[in-house]
Amino acid sequence: MTAPLPLPRLRLIRPTTVEAAVAARVECPQHEVLAGGTDLLVNLRRGLLAPPALIDITGIAELDEVRTTADRTRIGALVRLDRLAEDPAIASRHAALREAAVAVAAPGHRRLATVGGNLCLQTRCIYVNQSAWWRAAHGACLKSGGEVCHVAPEGARCHAAFSGDVAPALIALDAEIEIAGPAGRRRVACADLYHEEGRAHLRLDSGEIVTAIEVPTSIAHSGYLKERIRRSFDFPLAGVAIACRTEGAELSALRIAVTGTNSRPLLIEGTDALLGRRIDESVLAAAEKLVARQVRPMRTTLFPANHRRSVAAALARRLLGALGAPDAAAGRGHAGGTA
Amino acid sequence: MFDPGPIPGKRLLRIRLNGRWREDAVADDQLLVDYLRDTAGLTGTKTGCDGGECGACTVLVDDEPIPSCLTLAARCEGRSVETIEGLAAGGRLHRLQQAFHEKLGAQCGFCTPGMIMAAEGLLRRQPDPSEAEIRAALAGNLCRCTGYVKIVESVRAAAAADA
Amino acid sequence: MPTLAGTRDGVPLIDGIDKVTGRARYTADLDHRGAFVGRMLRSPCSHGQITRLDVERARQLPGVVAVLTGEDFRVPYGVLPIAMNEYPLARGKVRYRGEPVAAVAAIDAETAERALSLIELDVRELPAYYEAAEARAADAVRIHDDKPGNLEREVHHTFGDVAAGFAAADLVREELIDCAEINHAQIEPHAALAEFDPFTNRLTMQSVSQVTFYLHLMLARCLEMDESRIRVIKPFVGGGFGARVEVLNFELVTAMLARAAGGKVAMELSREETFITHRARPQTRIRLKLGLGRDGRLRACECEVVQRGGAYAGYGVITILYAGSLLHGLYDLPAVKYDGYRVYTNTPPCGAMRGHGSVDTRHAFEVLLDRMARELGLDPFEVRRRNLLHAPTRTLNELAIMSYGLAECLDRVESASGWKARRGRLPHGKGLGMACSHYVSGAAKPIHWTGEPHAVVNVKVDWDGSVTAFTGAADIGQGSSTMVAIAVAETLGLPIEQVRVIAADSATTPKDNGAYSSRITFMVGNAAIDAARRLRGMLTEAAARRLDCDPADVECAGGRFHVTGATDRGITFEEAVKAALVDQGTLTVKGTFTCPPEAQGGKHRGGAVGSTMGFSYAAQVVEVSVDEDTGQVTVDRVWVALDCGFAINPLAVRGQIEGAVWMGMGQALMEETRYLNGMPAHASFLEYRMPTSLDSPPIDAQIVESIDPNGPFGAKEASEGALASFAPALVAAIADAVGVDLDELPATPDRILDALVARRRRQRLDAVAGGGR
Repeated sequence: MTAPLPLPRLRLIRPTTVEAAVAARVECPQHEVLAGGTDLLVNLRRGLLAPPALIDITGIAELDEVRTTADRTRIGALVRLDRLAEDPAIASRHAALREAAVAVAAPGHRRLATVGGNLCLQTRCIYVNQSAWWRAAHGACLKSGGEVCHVAPEGARCHAAFSGDVAPALIALDAEIEIAGPAGRRRVACADLYHEEGRAHLRLDSGEIVTAIEVPTSIAHSGYLKERIRRSFDFPLAGVAIACRTEGAELSALRIAVTGTNSRPLLIEGTDALLGRRIDESVLAAAEKLVARQVRPMRTTLFPANHRRSVAAALARRLLGALGAPDAAAGRGHAGGTA
Repeated sequence: MFDPGPIPGKRLLRIRLNGRWREDAVADDQLLVDYLRDTAGLTGTKTGCDGGECGACTVLVDDEPIPSCLTLAARCEGRSVETIEGLAAGGRLHRLQQAFHEKLGAQCGFCTPGMIMAAEGLLRRQPDPSEAEIRAALAGNLCRCTGYVKIVESVRAAAAADA
Repeated sequence: MPTLAGTRDGVPLIDGIDKVTGRARYTADLDHRGAFVGRMLRSPCSHGQITRLDVERARQLPGVVAVLTGEDFRVPYGVLPIAMNEYPLARGKVRYRGEPVAAVAAIDAETAERALSLIELDVRELPAYYEAAEARAADAVRIHDDKPGNLEREVHHTFGDVAAGFAAADLVREELIDCAEINHAQIEPHAALAEFDPFTNRLTMQSVSQVTFYLHLMLARCLEMDESRIRVIKPFVGGGFGARVEVLNFELVTAMLARAAGGKVAMELSREETFITHRARPQTRIRLKLGLGRDGRLRACECEVVQRGGAYAGYGVITILYAGSLLHGLYDLPAVKYDGYRVYTNTPPCGAMRGHGSVDTRHAFEVLLDRMARELGLDPFEVRRRNLLHAPTRTLNELAIMSYGLAECLDRVESASGWKARRGRLPHGKGLGMACSHYVSGAAKPIHWTGEPHAVVNVKVDWDGSVTAFTGAADIGQGSSTMVAIAVAETLGLPIEQVRVIAADSATTPKDNGAYSSRITFMVGNAAIDAARRLRGMLTEAAARRLDCDPADVECAGGRFHVTGATDRGITFEEAVKAALVDQGTLTVKGTFTCPPEAQGGKHRGGAVGSTMGFSYAAQVVEVSVDEDTGQVTVDRVWVALDCGFAINPLAVRGQIEGAVWMGMGQALMEETRYLNGMPAHASFLEYRMPTSLDSPPIDAQIVESIDPNGPFGAKEASEGALASFAPALVAAIADAVGVDLDELPATPDRILDALVARRRRQRLDAVAGGGR
């Protein structure tokens, strides 16, 4: 075997129940959870982490189910992204989720990657997602065991950017995340799964794993737009999900979430001030401004932070406009294809 | 000579490879692509990148095209894996192979096995794809030679040959 | 007028079935049984003196069979005999981050990696320069002691009366255009397999080479071995695009490791290492000034080019010469001044890439010409038509133009794209742009000038009637072996299936200068025809003896030799072979091709660069959509026409045109190599973005056949000429769509958005200024 960058030596632990998976995590917190593997295996090959074992949870059947009730959709953490993209129930109930799922990476990745894995995606940074040689030659950063963040050397935290597509959709849709741990199961709002800290962006306690997502059907209109250079493979330079409800012509619910710009998927604050108004130019401009003011893109990619900020804002305006338009679905479909 | 000792964590893997069941001892950390190339000797499946960025290693696992550098061999236990070497049968090229050959879907040929396997995955679920569907299905397979023009033509021709 | 009746629709590649079945063996697929694994340690530092390199602990590690450092290589190498300043492993100094400094061979990859981690390297750092301007600063430390100002080469050429030309022009404009550094990004990572037999002292080398002769030459040089003890074999190669013309450090290191280990060593580079090996198109800044008459005629051109060349010479001298030389040859230019500067920097060495040297200057030229035509109210097609050449002619810098199909290329794409009806009538956000380009069909004067013919092909015919052509030309996917088969089959009146081609194995095939500068079709094609004609002559004489007639009365066609006018009086090809073998035995004939001295360029210094027997010509139209909110540019369609002289294999020609246009699109839209303090920030297919199938438009490729008087069947090159016109056509289309003139490549969304913002700011200022008046 001569191929470069092999996986480090490690064992596979293959539990068949959630309890066994949690027990394995409790026994050794350094073990990593392996679901689809599209992110983890690449990171392992680049030496970003060196767990003694991988807990392969794909044998846990209960985590691979989609169940629908009148007011909720329950999606197991192991449901694959291609299934989310193709499931007619999800398309009709949660357009943003479908659009986010289909925007992830490339088709082969979506056949492996899971919704839980995409939620737990590692944050990314141009100084981190490199080979071990690269990081050693350049000098390590906060996230890779060094003393300083190369993106913002004066600061005390890591700015690696959360770059998952599914999380903003679920945050906009007001989904809850079910988490299993040594103390049993608990639920948190999707936005509360995350910290604004690139090194430890997931608020999971020791031994915990994400087991399911529950999405309410109460917000009728939703969508996701992603800015990237290529229509395949690329992580978002910025991604915007919006879910809204209108009563008559007036907004009665509005949630906007952005990915790619912060160390967590960011729920935009202040959208309640727009409720009760029609989706007109002034509302679109207000939404654009809210996004532009709250996102904090840093130099974690080769593309300038100001570009990612202005595009995030522009996508929010465009998406909200499309959701407010009478032929919402058609308009959004087109925008999704070009952004 | 130096003896590195036994490799830890090997287990017996039973898979159906190109239609034939076989068993091999594989390490837990062996990628499917390395199993195919190094253990099974099937070098038609290529490695073009450092993980998940080019699609050259695409194979079918239970009829679905996936990059074999993004999955562990051990996770294919009991499953059917098909590579480019398994397509031609009975002394005849597979319709995609015929089309890629005749329409010049392959120039340097390095992306070709992965490209053909991705296309085969498409044709198994959608026997008569549109150009947009073909382009979408091949969006995880980079080609540096063709500009994809003749690749798309090849897949269309193969689909037509099947009809 | 050639017919090549059997191949008018084009023929599939003769090695195509191997590729579609997975049988084709690339370097990493070869028999690795018993091979040691080679790995290289790379410099973490951009520029510095090696103060300590201790490999003792690596050497002591069980399982390690060889350890090398720069001290094991006494002789420098390089593609140009005049500029060999690189060692396979750094000696004394490191000059870029990622430069190999030591190498190991071990029983497996894990041991080899562990051995690398045991090597201790100390470097006393020197100031490092990542931009050409920094490296040229007066107080900059020298990267190479013999190159003051870190200038590898400067070129100053003036042809015609430039001052008078500008004085006579009605419109003179100057622009500064920046083009990012890009990479070949062939999908196959670099790899090599070397086997040294310690009992016979022979080396067998298999590698990803485009030019096995150069590899052979440099192996002998750097390993200080007798050339005759080396055999170089080219397996299937997964793309080159210029990356593998120069001999690369890992090839020499692999061979040296094999000799040190007394066995077989396999080296596979990661994608990151493949990017670091580089040798691609440099970051280029072009200051261009053109003078145009109101009639659209070009009066004068002044062009300054600065290339950030990277840390070693490589092809640099040629690249900076090409950039000036190929300003000529596309249009009728009465006066040209060119100043070129190739600069050493602490980045991986640049080199040759598809369209070598010509692409970025052509981009600047076409962009400026387009803008000036707009200012003069001239249609972009019209301004080109007013400056056409007329073959045969010679350019100011003594390039011979023997055939010229640009006018027809223009007509074809103008009509196919519906230019006249659609240009200026598309909705805002959509636009059309066009541009032209050209490229050489092989360098008329090879780098290693020995007085030998430019190409040699052997053709063997034997008792079984089989015809085998032997060529050293490297088929890297472009279909050169298929071209040889067609040329031989056509000349012998045989179906292509009857001709076998053996290529690029130094033990069996004649020396060839390899796959670069689009030389193979023109040179090797002519040599193949020459060999086949000689064979046909011998067979004709044998047939005449059998048919009892004068050889002049024998015709060869359709697999038979018959008396002219009496098709029933004939014998089969096989019978003719048997007759010819009597008293002779197996026949092997040699064909050659030589470029005459008058085709080898001007007498001025560097005048050979750009000289060729035939230029290909291209025109293309690009249609785009621009999203003004996000800056996203979508290429909707491309129409291209290429004058390749004659299409020997139209299928392959179309494939080459499409590939060239698409590669131009990648450079124009998104491809870019970037460095963070000299660390490659692009060294993966995620950060180095090449277009996917979803980003790639339909390409309408048309073939124009000007029938070159010297080309094989009238053919010229087909794989590079169409590349350079994509980017300027795109920039023109963006201007048409949203009214911004982009001065930078690639046209990424951030650059488009910046340009849009800058334009709005300008408009506001103009409005304020206008209001104040």
